[in-house]
Amino acid sequence: MSDWRNSPPAEDWTIDELMIARLAACFGDGDQACNGMASFVPVSAFWLARLTHAPDLVWLAGAVGLEPRPDRVPASTLEAPLWRDSIMYVEQYGDFWNFALNGRWLTKFCVGAAQLDRYGNGNNSVIGTDYHNPRVRLPGTAGLGDMGSIGKRLYYWNPNHNPRSLVERVDFISCAGYLGGGSERADAGLEGGPELVITNLAVMDFHPETRHMRVASLHPGVTFEQVQEATGFELPAPEGPIPTTEAPTAEQVRLIRDIIDPDNMRRREFGR
Amino acid sequence: MSAEKLATLEDAAALVCDGDTVAILNMATQAAPMALVRELIRQERQDLGVVCLVGGIPVDWLAAAGAMNRLIGAAVSMEQFGLCQRYRKAVEAGAIRVEELSETALNARLGAGARNLPFLPTRGLIGTDLIDVNDNLVMLDDPFGGPSVVACKALVPDVALVHAHKADRFGNIGYEPTALWPDLGIMPKAATTVIVTAEEIVDSEVLRANPDRTVLPGFMVDAVVEAPFGAHPTSFSPRYGYDTAMHLEWIGAARDDEAVAVFLEKYVTGPADHAAYLETVGGAEQMTALRNWEAS
Repeated sequence: MSDWRNSPPAEDWTIDELMIARLAACFGDGDQACNGMASFVPVSAFWLARLTHAPDLVWLAGAVGLEPRPDRVPASTLEAPLWRDSIMYVEQYGDFWNFALNGRWLTKFCVGAAQLDRYGNGNNSVIGTDYHNPRVRLPGTAGLGDMGSIGKRLYYWNPNHNPRSLVERVDFISCAGYLGGGSERADAGLEGGPELVITNLAVMDFHPETRHMRVASLHPGVTFEQVQEATGFELPAPEGPIPTTEAPTAEQVRLIRDIIDPDNMRRREFGR
Repeated sequence: MSAEKLATLEDAAALVCDGDTVAILNMATQAAPMALVRELIRQERQDLGVVCLVGGIPVDWLAAAGAMNRLIGAAVSMEQFGLCQRYRKAVEAGAIRVEELSETALNARLGAGARNLPFLPTRGLIGTDLIDVNDNLVMLDDPFGGPSVVACKALVPDVALVHAHKADRFGNIGYEPTALWPDLGIMPKAATTVIVTAEEIVDSEVLRANPDRTVLPGFMVDAVVEAPFGAHPTSFSPRYGYDTAMHLEWIGAARDDEAVAVFLEKYVTGPADHAAYLETVGGAEQMTALRNWEAS
């Protein structure tokens, strides 16, 4: 176990490391976490949590391999090298969705979406107004269309905070957030919902009544104006000083760079 | 005596008719029955509907060849190699119609198909727009008074294509110790016809030594074909990794119509048979590198 508790803030952290450390803080002992494809930030976060504050965080790599011991973050988060040395292979149809749908387990889920709107609805389906004649065909909802509707607490990560990815209203809802805001999600009979949005500029949460996205903390050196500039809808004006996102510690940075992801796979998600 | 199921790639692919709905067992870069997919393109199959959980390069090749006009699935992506651009272009041009389902909705449609039920419900998708654009999904009141669910209409694919590690000549299918690919548990069981390619055809005694690893019984399998590296360029754990160079070559070619035609001629329609294909993609040297996950 590393001496993470007494580690000072890192001096040379980078934004990927900050996002990983912030997301890691969302997962604790007693949680079960799974990842999908192209999920370098969540995978690194789960791993970092397990090496520091949450050694008993259960990790189901690729929703396939239980408690894996990969050598390092590989080029794919949905291929066998990630679930090396698993203690169990979880069969998708028979096992994984039983665990995920049951409600007792896998209560938190990390979501990456091409579009995310002010009420936390996600879109990975189509860009354009006509589903059957899209301007752009996106990959598809995969598991998000389920995770948004079955009571999970959703943690969005977005390494490229810009007005194209954070929009006033998604072109198409393929992951249910707070729908039209207010009580709409609850009225639809849905529990859980979006908790946080962690981007390369800020951490956002959702107002408990309006369910509108708002800035919860600004990353060091980032202003509210910069975040507003990069966001495709109007953010509620801050009511007072906005907290600064905690920078990762020297030990967290060391673990990410030397142990978890020495090949810098996490950087592939940035700058798109 | 059990019936013999051994077939050639040509004869097995000929079981697929123009217009069929074809379930392809695979994930983004894994375990796709590529030898069969190439053979379907060689035989110029048309108007296919493709069913997949997460379709990767097989979907892109079928789209590039103009062999498919509809897709039923949860996602299409080659993960680290990006979106399937030929598929995407065909959808945007209106040449492929997409029925996008969440994973539980696809499982429910296939599960209902396998069990001869009119539908199965899911709690996924509620609140999304995917229900509104799909006639095969209908909100349904719980007859027992609980929250509403989404009824997912039964889906019975005409054919399922599966790649496996081992098969005997009677069509019993064995998997080696590895993660079971997602819809192996349901997709073939829903389909009317099941075609399996296997890394090797083995004596039944080999399967009898580990009956817990037999994943499909011969009575439901219509044809088995021996096709070593039959999932190439996707991975087939634990035997080999995905072929990074070939995925990169494809995404390079996929940007340009002419380059696509050259690529398909070189790798899909050109090689005389599966053995010739394996030579074209690098032969024994490349296969060794893939076995060692040195080319992934």
